[in-house]
Amino acid sequence: MPSPSTNGAPSPNDAPASRWRRLRAAALSLTRPRTPEALPVTIDRRRVYVLPTRFGLFFAALLLGMGVGALNYNNNPALLLCLLLGGAAQASLIAAQLQLTGMSIVAIDAEPVAAGHPIALRLHAQAEPNRIRRGVRVDDDDVLATSVLNLDQGRGEADVLLPTQQRGWLAVPRLRCYTTRPLGLARAWTYVWSDTPVLVYAAPEPNGPPLPGGVGEQAQTRLHASGDDVHHLRSYRPGDARRAIAWKPSARRDALLVREYEQPLGADVVLDWNQLHGLTYEARVSRLARWVDEAERDGRRYRLHLPGQPDLGPDHGAAHRHACQRALALLPAAGGGVR
Amino acid sequence: MSALANSAPELDISSRRWSLLAALACVVPLLLQLPPSLGLPIAAAGGLTTLLAWRKPLPAPIRLALTLLVVAAVLAVSGARLGRDTGCALLAAMLAIKPAETARLRDARSLIGFALFAPFATFLLDQGPLSLLLGLASAFGALVALQRLSDLESGDAAFAVPLRTRLRSVLHLVLIGLPVALAAFWLFPRLGAPLWGMPERALGRTGLSDTMRPNDWIDLMADDTPALRVRFFGAPPEPDQMYWRGPTMWRFDGMEWTQAALLQGLPAPATQPAQRGWDYELEVEPTERTQLVALDLPVAAPTGSTLSGDYSLRANTPLTSLTRWRLRSAAPARYQPKLPLLLRQLALQLPEGFNPRTQALARQWRTEAGKDDAAIVARALQWIRRDFAYTLDTPPWGRDAVDQFLFDSREGFCQHFSASFVVLMRGAGIPARVVTGYAGGYRNPLGDYWIVLRSDAHAWAEVWLEGRGWVRVDPTAAVAPERIYDTIADRSPGASGLLGGLGVPTWNVSDWLRRNWNDLLLGFNAERQSRLLAPFGVEKLQGRQLGLLFALAAVAALLWMVWLSARGQREADPVLRAWHRLAARYRRLGLEREAHETASEWTARVARARPELAADLRELSQRFANWRYAAPQPGMQNGRDATDLVRALRRHRPTSKQF
Repeated sequence: MPSPSTNGAPSPNDAPASRWRRLRAAALSLTRPRTPEALPVTIDRRRVYVLPTRFGLFFAALLLGMGVGALNYNNNPALLLCLLLGGAAQASLIAAQLQLTGMSIVAIDAEPVAAGHPIALRLHAQAEPNRIRRGVRVDDDDVLATSVLNLDQGRGEADVLLPTQQRGWLAVPRLRCYTTRPLGLARAWTYVWSDTPVLVYAAPEPNGPPLPGGVGEQAQTRLHASGDDVHHLRSYRPGDARRAIAWKPSARRDALLVREYEQPLGADVVLDWNQLHGLTYEARVSRLARWVDEAERDGRRYRLHLPGQPDLGPDHGAAHRHACQRALALLPAAGGGVR
Repeated sequence: MSALANSAPELDISSRRWSLLAALACVVPLLLQLPPSLGLPIAAAGGLTTLLAWRKPLPAPIRLALTLLVVAAVLAVSGARLGRDTGCALLAAMLAIKPAETARLRDARSLIGFALFAPFATFLLDQGPLSLLLGLASAFGALVALQRLSDLESGDAAFAVPLRTRLRSVLHLVLIGLPVALAAFWLFPRLGAPLWGMPERALGRTGLSDTMRPNDWIDLMADDTPALRVRFFGAPPEPDQMYWRGPTMWRFDGMEWTQAALLQGLPAPATQPAQRGWDYELEVEPTERTQLVALDLPVAAPTGSTLSGDYSLRANTPLTSLTRWRLRSAAPARYQPKLPLLLRQLALQLPEGFNPRTQALARQWRTEAGKDDAAIVARALQWIRRDFAYTLDTPPWGRDAVDQFLFDSREGFCQHFSASFVVLMRGAGIPARVVTGYAGGYRNPLGDYWIVLRSDAHAWAEVWLEGRGWVRVDPTAAVAPERIYDTIADRSPGASGLLGGLGVPTWNVSDWLRRNWNDLLLGFNAERQSRLLAPFGVEKLQGRQLGLLFALAAVAALLWMVWLSARGQREADPVLRAWHRLAARYRRLGLEREAHETASEWTARVARARPELAADLRELSQRFANWRYAAPQPGMQNGRDATDLVRALRRHRPTSKQF
C-alpha cells in the first residue's frame, strides 16, 4: 500500500497538494512523539497507530455488503461467514498493533559518509521474545531504501538509506516503523524520533590538485630504515631498490630477499587551511577532505591545520582520518568568524 | 525499494499459487450449486485461463474479449433470464477469468476479495451443511492467502514459514475473532422484514406449480428431497387424512388448469369445523414461490401469510429461505354449504368443443341419476376403481385429452385422474375443482417429525354437494391407494438406494441431522432472537434491549480478544511461571526483579529495602535455585517437590509497607 508521499519541495502553484501537506503536517504534529527523544525508548500502545489500508477499506466494504445482504435475506450461513471474516479481521488489527508494542528501539546510528552520498542509518531494536515479530518496515518520506526489521531471538536491526546534502550534524528524521501484518488489512505504525544526530563528512572535491609536497627534513620518499618497524621479507623482484635488500637474511637463505614495510613512509604532508588561497570557504573544506582521504590512501602521515583549532597529527590510520574528517565536517559554516 | 515502489510488488510463485488456490476453493462450492450446463463450462474457462496466464498476464484486448465472451455465454446458457442463479453464474464466470490479470500484489488481493463473494453467493442458493462447510473452509483459505500476501508486502516473503505454522497463525486469528463473531451472530438485531426482496432463481428447482398441465409433474414426482417437515403438537392425523392443500385449480382451457384470480382477494368462506383439529409447525424448504400448503383447512392464516377464498394459503413474500409456520387445521364438517352463483359458474366452466365423449357420458349419467349428485360421484369412482390403472409412464396428451384418458388409455397418474374426474363432474353439472398439494408423509422415528417429499406432490378433486359443501374426492386413491397412504412401508426414502437395507436408517439419520441443522442455524430469525432470553424469564426482547445486549457482549468479546491476543506466549514451565509472577508482584513495591539479577542478588536487594519480607523470600529463592540448579538428590521425588514449590511460590504475597 502506498503511503501518502510528500517528496519534493513544496510549490506554491500546487494548491490542493499544499493543503494536503498542511493537513498532514497538522496531523503529524499531534502524533507521538512530538519532539525528538533520547533512545532507548519502548514502544507502548499509546504511540502505536492503526488505520486500515486501502485493501482493508475494500475488505470492510465487502463485509458490509455481505452483512447487509445476509441480514436482509435472513441468511444465517452468509451472516456467519461475514462475521467470522470480520472477527478475524478485527483480531488482525489487534495483532498488527501487538507486533509493535513492547518493542524497544535501542539506538539509531550510522557510519559517517561524505555529503551527497546516502547515509545508512541502522536502527537497533529489541523486544521480549514472547511474540513473533517479523516483517516490520522502517521508513520515512525521504528514504531511498529500507530493509525489514525482524526481531528473532529478541533483537534485530534495520537499515534505512537517507540522502545527505551537507556536511555536519544530520538530525535523524522522524522514522516510521510500520507493519501491515498479519493480513494486510491494517497498517500499524509508530514514530521513532532520535535526538542523537549522525555525522556527515564534507564532500571531497571531485577533481582536485594532487597532494601538496611533504615538508620537513625527509623530503624524499624512501623506505624507513629503522629496524623496529614491523616488516616482513619477500623474494626479490626486478626493480626493487638495492638498499631494500636484506643482505644478511639473503645470505642465510641463499636467495635475494627484500624488506617490505607495512606502510611505506613518506614525508609528513601538511594540509593547511591557510595555504589554500583563492578558494571559497566550502571549496577549501572539500579540498581538504579530499586530501585527507588521498593521504590516507597513499599511506602517508599527514597533519591537518584548521583555523582556530590545534593541529591534528601528524599521524595516519583510520582513527586519525576520522578525527580529521570530523573536524572538517564540524567546521562552522562560512561567515561564522573564520576567514 | 522505496515506500511507493513497494505498493505493487510482483507476485512470487508461491504467493500466486496461494491466491489462485484460495480463489479456486471459493468458487468450487458455488459451481456445485449451479446447474451443470453452467458450472462445467465456467470451470473449464477458469482452468484454461489460469493455464494461459500462468507465465504472464494476458494482454488487455484478449482479456476484454474473454470477459465479453464469458458474459455472453452465461446469458445464452441461462436463456438471458435474470435471476439469483444467473447473477451467481456471472460472478463465478468473472472469477474464473480473473487469473488472466493476476500478476501483482494488488491483483491478487482483489482476486481474493472478490472471490470471498463466491461463498456468500453459494449461501444464497443453498444453505446446506456441505455448502457452509465448504464455504467456511474456502474463506479460511482466503485468509491464509492474504497472510501470505502480507508477508510478501512486508518484504519478508523469502523467509519460508512452514505450512503448519501458517495455518496455525490464521486459525489463531479466527479463534480470537470467534467470540465477537458469535456475540454478533446471536445478538445483532435481525430484520423482522427484509428491506428489499430476494431475486428469484431463473433456473429454479421444481415445486408446486401455479398451473397444472398434465405431464409436467414428472420431474416433481422423481424428486425425493423433502418439501416440508412437520411437527405435530398432539396426535397426528391418520395417514388417509394427510392431504396438504395447496393451490386450487378452477379454470380449464382444454390443456391447462389455472387458479382463479378472483378468489385471491376473497375472504375465506365460513366452514363448520369438525371436532378434530391438529396443531402443527411446518418447516418449508425454499421454493421461490409464495404458495404454501396446509393440512386440510387451516383455521387461520399465520402472520406473514394470507388465506384466499378457496383456503389456499400464500406467504406475503417468496419463500426464498427456510421458513416456519405455526398452524392449526381442522377437517370441515361442512365447507361452504352455500355456494355463491359466481363461484358455481366458475366451478362448472368447461371449454367449448373439447372432450365430446366425456360430455356425452356425463349427460347420460345425469339423466340416469336424476338429482342425486352423490350417486354420480360414487359411480365415477367405482368405474375408475374397476377399469383404470396407475402409471407414471404416460404418452403426451393430445387435444381431447380427457376423452383419450377415460376411453382409450385408462392409465395415468394423479393429474390425469383428478383432471378427468373434474371434467366428468362438471359435465354432469356438479361443481368441481382440482386441488394440488401433497398427500401423505413419512414419519422419521428419530426426532418424531414427519417429512413430506417433493415426490409426494399430488392432485385430487373437490366436488360441491348440496348440504355438505365441498367434499374431497381422490380418484387416484381409488386406483392406487398405496401411492397415497402406504408411504411408510413401501416408499420410505432411501429404501431403493444403493445402500439397500441400510438405506432407510441412513436417510433417517441424515434428515434428522439436517432438521436439527435447520433448527439451530437456518431457522434463527428475528422472532427466535427476541425469545433468546426466554429460559431466563425474559419473554420477549425489545429491539433496544437487544441492541444494548449486543453492545455489551461485543465490548466484552473485544476486551477478551485483546486479552487473548496480548497475553503472549505462556511460560511452559510451571515453576518458572510461578517464579516470574512472584517477582512481578514486587513491582508494586518498586522492587521488581531486574532482568540481569540472579535470584540471590534480587533477594539480597529486597532484604536491604524491606528486611521484614526477607526471610520468606530468601527461603523461596533458595528452594527455587535448588530446583533449578542443584543436582537431583537421590530419594527425592522431583515432581512432588516442584508441585510444592509452585504452591509456595504462588502463596507468597509481599505486603505493602505500613506506617
